[in-house]
Amino acid sequence: MKEYRGKIRLVVKHFPYRYRDLSLMASEAALSAGDQGKFWEMHRLLLRNSPRLDRGSLLGYAGEIGLNVKKFTGSLDGKAHSGNIERDRQLALALGIYSTPTLFINGRRVVGERPYEYFRRIVEEELAAAR
Amino acid sequence: MNISGGSSRKSLRRPDSVRIAALLRIGAAMACLLFAGSATAGSLARLPPPPVPAGNPQTPGKILLGKKLFFDRRLSGDGTMSCASCHIPDQAYTDGQDISQSYPTTRNWRNAPTLINAAYAGALFHDGRAASLEEQALFPVMSSFEMNLNLDFLEEKIRIVPEYVAAFRKVFGGEPTRERIAMAIASFERTLVSSNAPLDRFLAGDETALSREARKGYGIFTGKGKCAGCHFGALLSDGGYHALNVPENPQDRKDPRIAATRRFVAKLSQYAEYRTLEEDPGRYLVTKDRKDWKAFRTPTLREIARTAPYMHNGMLATLEDVIEFFDRGGGDGNRALSPLGLTGEEKHDLKTFLAEALSGDDIATTVPEIP
Repeated sequence: MKEYRGKIRLVVKHFPYRYRDLSLMASEAALSAGDQGKFWEMHRLLLRNSPRLDRGSLLGYAGEIGLNVKKFTGSLDGKAHSGNIERDRQLALALGIYSTPTLFINGRRVVGERPYEYFRRIVEEELAAAR
Repeated sequence: MNISGGSSRKSLRRPDSVRIAALLRIGAAMACLLFAGSATAGSLARLPPPPVPAGNPQTPGKILLGKKLFFDRRLSGDGTMSCASCHIPDQAYTDGQDISQSYPTTRNWRNAPTLINAAYAGALFHDGRAASLEEQALFPVMSSFEMNLNLDFLEEKIRIVPEYVAAFRKVFGGEPTRERIAMAIASFERTLVSSNAPLDRFLAGDETALSREARKGYGIFTGKGKCAGCHFGALLSDGGYHALNVPENPQDRKDPRIAATRRFVAKLSQYAEYRTLEEDPGRYLVTKDRKDWKAFRTPTLREIARTAPYMHNGMLATLEDVIEFFDRGGGDGNRALSPLGLTGEEKHDLKTFLAEALSGDDIATTVPEIP
């Protein structure tokens, strides 16, 4: 994102893995942090600290990035974003997504983790096509 | 690659699994013999229906069950990977990378081959160590650097899913076992077949199926380019093994995780000097025959335009690179090839043939609902 600042945009959709006990709550945490303007800060912490994604850890992360923890806790426990997450999940199923991460770069599907150069090649091709 | 730790290999060798594997091998061998009977070096042939082993007939229920298992991440140790992680429908059932994706924190050491038309192959894997799709299917599941799942655990993970238990009972008349899991996945893979490729229409007499350049390329392929010496018949493969001395990837050589994978596979293959091994011995690890040192299976060329990068380690990024490699006479020191002296126009026509003639209709795969 740094290398292509101003040229590309990243949109995250949630597809919590049902066999992971904590992934649904982690999605709630990211969106609850987003309510306070800190989605990306929480998103990065979740990726960095996975699999420590239990409720206590999430509340700790909320404090770490300066959220109103009481408000965050209410949102998390009340599953305030369950409708959004379910909508994203249905979208993922409709798109035939079976693995995470799956990225769509201008519609080009990339399944699984890839080296940076793999993404760079596709981004460069798409930027060239858009010019 | 696909070799796992001791316990899984040991349990795979139970007498019942040996019997089933032997039965399936016999079925596959018969089918392949029949199939290969029409192949002649130097000439190409139309793709017939895929052979099906007598011990594992295709049924719609089995194919659907195999498809579900193929996409199910339960088949990996940490639940992050399925067969479809490296054999991605949108990428012609490859993963589009030089070295295949691997289990988290590890590195694979070979390229993921396409599954399209794998139904026709007499041997699977770059080194040909599996004789049938049934035999092949479980190796990546238990491989420490691929899906890394113990096969006893696999059986129990599937046996606690009521939908799977019901499906296995209906399809096989019994409970989920590793052998039946492999049979179901193999049945699904047998549906991944090229259809309506321009080459097949051309060989059936439709001259218009190929452009003028592709027809000239066909002439190069079967003539001056000598491609059809090994890439012949319906599958465009002799089913053999050749040491072309494709260079090792210098970046991969520096990666200690790949070194660990290489040593691990060599160790399991009883290669005595596995700790100092710095290259991929290929088929040699299977046969221990010196002539097989760095030899790899001749791949099918069907769907080749969709399956870059090329060779067992993905060292050649494009078809142009592949043509240049063969035109030079292959890698340093190889004795299988000699320089071809193709002109620029001949290379172009050959590439046009490969790109245009060998791609069948898109295989539309709908991801199934996983129980």
